[in-house]
Amino acid sequence: MVMKKLLQATAAAIALLGGTEAFAAIKVMTTTQDLASIVAEVGGDKVAVESIAKGYQDPHFVEAKPSFIIKLHTADLLVVVGRDLEIGWLPPLITQSRNPKIQPGGPGYFDASQTVKILDMPAGQITRAMGDVHPSGNPHYWLDPGNGRRIAQALQAKLTALSQGDAAYFAHRYADFDRRLAEGQKRWNAAMAPYKGAKIVTYHRSWTNFADAFSLEVIGYVEPKPGIPPSPRHTLELEQEMKRQNVKILLVDPYFDMKTPKAIGRDTGAKVLMMPPSVGGVPEAGNYIALFDYDINLLVSTMKQMGTQ
Amino acid sequence: MSGLTIGEILNFLAAPFVASLILTGIHSYLGVHVVERGVIFVDLSLAQIAALGATIAILLPFSSGDPHAPSVYWVSLLFTFIGAAIFSMIRGKRARIPQEAIIGISYAVASAAAILAMSKSTSESEHLKDMLVGNIIAVSWPEVGETAALYAAVGIFHYIFRKQFLSISMNHDRVEAAGLNVKWWDFLFYASFGFVVTSSVAIAGVLLVFCYLIVPSVAAMLYADTIGKRLAIGWTMGTVVSALGVYLSLVLDLPTGATIVCTFGLALVLMAIVRVLIPRTNGRQTQSLGFSGSEM
Repeated sequence: MVMKKLLQATAAAIALLGGTEAFAAIKVMTTTQDLASIVAEVGGDKVAVESIAKGYQDPHFVEAKPSFIIKLHTADLLVVVGRDLEIGWLPPLITQSRNPKIQPGGPGYFDASQTVKILDMPAGQITRAMGDVHPSGNPHYWLDPGNGRRIAQALQAKLTALSQGDAAYFAHRYADFDRRLAEGQKRWNAAMAPYKGAKIVTYHRSWTNFADAFSLEVIGYVEPKPGIPPSPRHTLELEQEMKRQNVKILLVDPYFDMKTPKAIGRDTGAKVLMMPPSVGGVPEAGNYIALFDYDINLLVSTMKQMGTQ
Repeated sequence: MSGLTIGEILNFLAAPFVASLILTGIHSYLGVHVVERGVIFVDLSLAQIAALGATIAILLPFSSGDPHAPSVYWVSLLFTFIGAAIFSMIRGKRARIPQEAIIGISYAVASAAAILAMSKSTSESEHLKDMLVGNIIAVSWPEVGETAALYAAVGIFHYIFRKQFLSISMNHDRVEAAGLNVKWWDFLFYASFGFVVTSSVAIAGVLLVFCYLIVPSVAAMLYADTIGKRLAIGWTMGTVVSALGVYLSLVLDLPTGATIVCTFGLALVLMAIVRVLIPRTNGRQTQSLGFSGSEM
């Protein structure tokens, strides 16, 4: 009897030290920090979430480390951006994790793109004449706050399915995030209102959803195709178009080569703006809402300075 | 780490480690030939030619854009054989252009041609390069098994014709004077070599394959003159460095392939320092490892 009590007391003490709580939390792995931030918003302390790629890394290219496979092995849920963004590195890691839950189609595999607004979708049959197309649409969709909300909503349902007892908790967390995001959207839309319809150029097709959400018009890209360096003719045509349409802003993700953008900036007088597309891209963009605060602030102050209409 | 036992963690690293042993086995051997022939960058060049073949195949309609389609593999193998044919043709007795120059040119042109091919593609080619190049940490057991069987076949082929291959590598002019059809045997050498390199790059990546090929062979040259001793030293070094590299990548959580490459570099520097410190007179004896394979 005494022995049993002693054991119970020891178990309780261990539980108090946080052992049980960590054990009970849903282990979530995400491919990007944006998704990790949204999981943390909805999941709170009922989840232990970690991202594979860091925000300052190009999510198209991630160098696999042993710890990724080990962490995926024990994960309850894997949240991916999808739309072929991670196709270059994720599939073998998932296979090698030997975790049946997180295999594509499994109960712990969650493609965040399923419920969001996807742009650049080719309509109908893809043919050679259409030129450059993304067969499954543009994967940089998280840069629209509306899509952040859709991801959070779908995640609330997913986390609830994994842990029924915490349904009310997740609902409450989602409602809180939804409210703060709506406040943020009001703030961002107000800041961007004077620049409605402003024309910009981006390096990669990574700001399409951002431009859609804040009524900017992307008139061209520095790379003629994703991953292909610009040809002289393409660069010259882009510069002419930028001068003709009086484009003052060129957005570049931090991990792209700055040489060509800087040359275009010199030739056209446009400002080359290095803007983080992901949470963790700069220390100030520590979570999903802070990312937009940082990016909008940077963009608005630059446009003010450049006198963009 | 993440509540896994040591046994479970080692279980994850078992396939990459066995794969690295297979790479050591075949590449240390081929490396001896490559270093002896002085065609150090031939593997990079053949790998790039194979990648060009794969890129073109993916862009053609019959592969339906799948990098792992059988047609992609066969086209890339065909390109490898064309490369092998070129490399076996360019070595003439009185050739004024060094073979290494042609190899370098082939590398540059094949790389650039692959970029041009991708720029003309209609589908997204952003990830093509990564899908063609493997990462040793993500290798699976079936891949390890297939590779082992393939390399065993190549190894047997080279063992049967070891006399021809070795004599050409060690003393090309004398063999040619003796009337052996050197161009034919060179083609067989480069074709089998390209076959191995193409498969290795697909599971381990370009840098790692280059290291397995050249470093053990160069390290062995520091200590031994005969083929048998060089192989013994190369295989020992490759095995020890693979184990150490995989271990370091685990404890320091670094990308596995790059960690093994750097471990190779460090091991080579250490072996060179030891070589300088050991007095020359008894250096030969201490490093012979009791392996006598000079008749191989």
